[in-house]
Amino acid sequence: MTATLERAPGTGPAAGAVRRLLTGGFVSSALLAVLAVTALTAQEAVPGIAVPGPLVEYGLPVLRVLLDLAAVAVVGLSLLPKMLGFDDPDRTEPVMRRARPLAVTFAWAWAVLALVIIVFQTAQLNPGVIPTPGMIARYVDDFGAGQGMLFSAACALAYAGIGLLAVRFGEKVPAELRIVIAFFGLLPIPVTGHAVNSLWHDPIMISMELHVMGSAAWTGGLLTIMLLVAGNRDLLAQVLPKFSRLATLALVLVSVSGLVNGLASLALTQGIELPGALFGSHYGLLVIAKTACVALLIPFAAHIRFRLLPRIAARQATAVVAWAAAEITVMGLAYGLAVALTTASMT
Amino acid sequence: MRRLLTVLLFACAALMGVVTPAQAHNVLIGSDPAEGASLAEGPRTITLTFDQTVRQGFAQISVTGPDGTRWEDGKTTVDGAKVSVAVRPLGPAGQYVAGYRIMSSDGHPVAGKVTFTLTAAGTGAAAQPAPAATAPATPQTPGLSAQAAEAAQNGGAGMAVLWIVGALVVLGGATVVALRRGGDREASR
Repeated sequence: MTATLERAPGTGPAAGAVRRLLTGGFVSSALLAVLAVTALTAQEAVPGIAVPGPLVEYGLPVLRVLLDLAAVAVVGLSLLPKMLGFDDPDRTEPVMRRARPLAVTFAWAWAVLALVIIVFQTAQLNPGVIPTPGMIARYVDDFGAGQGMLFSAACALAYAGIGLLAVRFGEKVPAELRIVIAFFGLLPIPVTGHAVNSLWHDPIMISMELHVMGSAAWTGGLLTIMLLVAGNRDLLAQVLPKFSRLATLALVLVSVSGLVNGLASLALTQGIELPGALFGSHYGLLVIAKTACVALLIPFAAHIRFRLLPRIAARQATAVVAWAAAEITVMGLAYGLAVALTTASMT
Repeated sequence: MRRLLTVLLFACAALMGVVTPAQAHNVLIGSDPAEGASLAEGPRTITLTFDQTVRQGFAQISVTGPDGTRWEDGKTTVDGAKVSVAVRPLGPAGQYVAGYRIMSSDGHPVAGKVTFTLTAAGTGAAAQPAPAATAPATPQTPGLSAQAAEAAQNGGAGMAVLWIVGALVVLGGATVVALRRGGDREASR
C-alpha cells in the first residue's frame, strides 16, 4: 500500500487549518454569544441583597455552554459509525479509529464539566461563600437541576466506559448503545432550565427534549463529518447524503419545537402578554434571536443540500467545508443563546 | 436506522418517568406595600406574592432606607407563594427599597426589588448604618439542613459522590492506559 492510501483521511497539513476553522468558529461563537448575552442581561444590583460574584455569574454560563459543546461532540461521534456503515471496514475503520478515542475524551470533558457545574450552581445559591461538600450534597438533594446534572455526568461517565471498550474492541461494541447513552445524558439537561407549571408541562418537556436531541444530532453530525470525513471524497459521497436526510428532519424538529417551547413558556407564565413580552423581555428577545439563527441556517443548509450535494455525490471537489464552517458557526451562536435563554428573565 | 429510532423512543419514554419534572420559574405578581406606593406610615411587614410556591430556605428580603440604612427585622419567612419579613418602625421620610432574592421552584435564584416612598418621617432608628450586603450564609430553615445532613449521612448524595469518585478513578486509569496503548499501536504501524 502506498503512503497516501494508508494515511487516514483528514490528516494532511491543510486539514489542520480546516479543523481550526470548524472548531474555532463553533466554540468561539458559542462562547462569545453566551458572554455577550450574560453581560447585557446582567441583573441590576438589588440593595441589601448579596449576589454571586462575577466568577459565578460568568463562569456558570460558560461552563454550561462548554458542556453543551462537549455533549454535541459526543453525540456526533456516536452517530458517525451509523452514517459510515459497517459494510466496508477497510475504508471506514481508519476514520473510526480516530473517532473513538475522541469520543471518550469528550465524554470525559462532559462528565467533569457537569460535576463542576453542580459546584457552581451551589455557589450561585449561596453568594459569598465557597461551597462545602455538605452544601453541594444538600443542593443535589433538594434541586432537580442538581440531580439532572448528576445524572448527565453519570451518563457521560458510562459513555466513557463503553467508549473505552469500543476503543479496544472496535465496532463489536454496538453503535446503538453508544448513541442511546449519549442521548440519555442529554435528556436531563432541559430539566435544569426554565419550565412552566401547567397542564401543558409534559408536552412542553417532551418538545424540549426533542429540541435538545435534534440540535445535538444535527450540529454534532455535521461537525464530525466535516472534521473526520470531508478529507476523503469517496466516503463523503457516501455519508453526506445519509446525513442530509437526518439534517432535514432535525431542521424541522428543532425549529418547530423551539418555537413551541419559547412561545408556550411565555404564554403560560402569569402576568405576561404575548406578543408584547416577545420584545419586552430578555426571554422574548432571545427567542427571536434564536429564531433568526435558524432562519440564517436554512440558506447554508439548502446550499449544501441542493447545490453541493450532487457534486459531492459525483466525487467532485467542492467548498463544502467552508460552507459547513459558516453553518456550524451560526449553530454555535444558537447554542450560546440557548444557554442564556435557560435562565433569562421573562418579565 | 428504524431499530435505532425505536430504541431511542423507548429510552425517552423510560426517562420521562424517571427524571423529576422540572418545576416552573417564579414570577413576582404582587406585593404589600405595592411597587411605587406612597405611605404615610411605615408598614409592619413586607409581603411579596409570587405566582406559585416559593422554595423554603434561601429566601431573603432586605429593606434599605434613604441613605443605605437597613430596616428589616428578623428572618424572612416563606408561606406558600408568600414571602414576608417584619419591618421595624421606619425612620426618615424618603424612598425605601425592599430587595429580594428567592429560590424559584425550578432552582433558579430570582432577585428583584419593590420600591415605596414614606411621606411622613417615623420614629424608628436604623438597625445598623449601611452594612455591606450580607450573605445568607446558611439557609434560614434549620429543619431543612438537618434533614439534608441526615440524608447525606444515610447515603443519599454522600453515597452518590462516593460512587462517582470511584467511577472517575477507575475510568480515568482505564482511559489513560487504553489511549496510550492505542497511540502505541498507531505509532508502530
